[in-house]
Amino acid sequence: MTSIATRTSTPTADRPVLECIGLSKTYGGHLAVDDVNLEVSAGEIYGILGANGAGKTTSVECAQGLRRPDRGTIRVLGLDPVADKARLRGRVGSQLQQANLPDRLKVREAVTLFADDRVQARRVMDEWELETIAGTPFAGLSGGQRQRLFLALALLNDPEIVFLDELTQGLDPAARSEVWALIERVRDRGTTVVLVTHFMNEAEALCDRVAVMRSGRVVDLDTPAGLIERHSEGVRVRFGGSPDDVDWVVDVPLVRSARHDRREIVAVGPSPMIAHLGAELVARNRVPDEIRVAQPSLEEALLTLLDPPDPDPRPVGPSPFDPTALAVAAATPTTAGGPIR
Amino acid sequence: MTAQLLRLYRTELRLFGREPQALVFVFGFPIITVLVLGGVFGTDTDDSGFEYINPQHFYTAAYFGVVLCAIAVIMLPVHLAGYRERGVLRRFDTSSFPRWAVPAVLVASGVTFAVLGFAALLVTAQLAFGLPEIDDPVRTGIGLVVGTLAFVSLGVAIGSLLPTARAAQGIGLMLFFPMFLLAGGGPPPEALSDTMRTIADWLPLTHVIRAVQEPWLGLGTGGDHLAVTTGVLAASTAVWAWRTSRITRAA
Repeated sequence: MTSIATRTSTPTADRPVLECIGLSKTYGGHLAVDDVNLEVSAGEIYGILGANGAGKTTSVECAQGLRRPDRGTIRVLGLDPVADKARLRGRVGSQLQQANLPDRLKVREAVTLFADDRVQARRVMDEWELETIAGTPFAGLSGGQRQRLFLALALLNDPEIVFLDELTQGLDPAARSEVWALIERVRDRGTTVVLVTHFMNEAEALCDRVAVMRSGRVVDLDTPAGLIERHSEGVRVRFGGSPDDVDWVVDVPLVRSARHDRREIVAVGPSPMIAHLGAELVARNRVPDEIRVAQPSLEEALLTLLDPPDPDPRPVGPSPFDPTALAVAAATPTTAGGPIR
Repeated sequence: MTAQLLRLYRTELRLFGREPQALVFVFGFPIITVLVLGGVFGTDTDDSGFEYINPQHFYTAAYFGVVLCAIAVIMLPVHLAGYRERGVLRRFDTSSFPRWAVPAVLVASGVTFAVLGFAALLVTAQLAFGLPEIDDPVRTGIGLVVGTLAFVSLGVAIGSLLPTARAAQGIGLMLFFPMFLLAGGGPPPEALSDTMRTIADWLPLTHVIRAVQEPWLGLGTGGDHLAVTTGVLAASTAVWAWRTSRITRAA
């Protein structure tokens, strides 16, 4: 159970690229987004993670001026996304969930349509390796090819921030991996990315910071490593031993728990526990033939918190994280407000 | 902005050109039907059912309206509702195109297809029957222009209201055939029952056809019909402009 490598650094910037303060949106009595605060810094991949119906898409649609929030303030690059929509055009890129192209539109035609001119269209076709599928109608593209085209279109004008909503939904693992690499390319260009996803491994692999949403609220925010550290049991170390070994293992510094499981001792604790445990094994001249260390993943860490569901979670915001608040209700409508147009 | 809109216009023309259903209804159906009806009713000018006009000429003048009807209730609504259903409008919302670009370009595309449909109809009628002389070219031209704008705008308005392409297709076919049959494209007007004529009086297509047919064939000025057609243009433009101006359906 080795986790995917994660970045733990948080980019710094003079001012947030995206700022939402007290954002709320209701659809006919259903509170889809409830007092959400987001602050995205320049150059980071900022994940918004949550189950379907958590309020992720509504939040980013408000941030793009596609929905008018009931309450709250939004600033994108210092501008109001509704009032200053014209000024933000070209500075903001987007691939929304369920935003498609006409079936019979060919790839080259799509790029030419949305590009400023032929030179830009040619550059983008080359940069995103679209030439081989230039004459293919949209309906004939594979899932991975469609997402590549969508990314190319979202980045046509070299936007300063790009919103990517459920970009890998419905893709097979190979195509998903391809899209992940493309997203990293986007970040490497210096573009700020707001990545909406319900895949925890995706958030862990790509995001610098992750806001976890549930029932319209942000229930925690941190780096993937920080979330794992806070919400997982910890590192799990397994080595051969007898039930009697549990007695001394639990006394090793930083060990949170120990048990005997199928001829093995399982010790759980934070990462530095490994050093203490190794030293104790050496001191006792009990170096085992095999020691296995399992790092917790974000998925494990959050799933632990998602069960059992809490019907009335408390928002966290600046207050300490409430672990019981993270149970995610599954299979609720993805876009509570329905299609925009 | 102009270059961007021109690109969208060219793209839409290409996409309509790849839609077999639109091509059949805008080009195929009116031409085949006018040939059949012209052949059936001949050139007898003594028939009061055709207001003592050569039936072939009567239908030729009427079938401009049938081309417009196909554009207004089938081609444009299916296209635009399909855009909404599939999320194409969402994509345009997040692009550098202004919100009014898609409906405005669809109006322009609809007008273009109407002109092409008229041209195909004229050539066919000229080859098959010979074209009737135009009694009042100015009023005929005005009727044609206002009628075209009204029905193209009506098509965009219908498309802006319907949620899916399938719904648009069903409603479009349901509207198209009764309108076509009752408004002047089917049996001679005198063959219709009183009830049918009353219904026909309420159909916008009747007024578009009469606004063109009357000044063309010397049957009248078509003024009343032009007024109704202008009302259709104003109402339908208001509908799609209202739909376009809303930020969101929920807002």
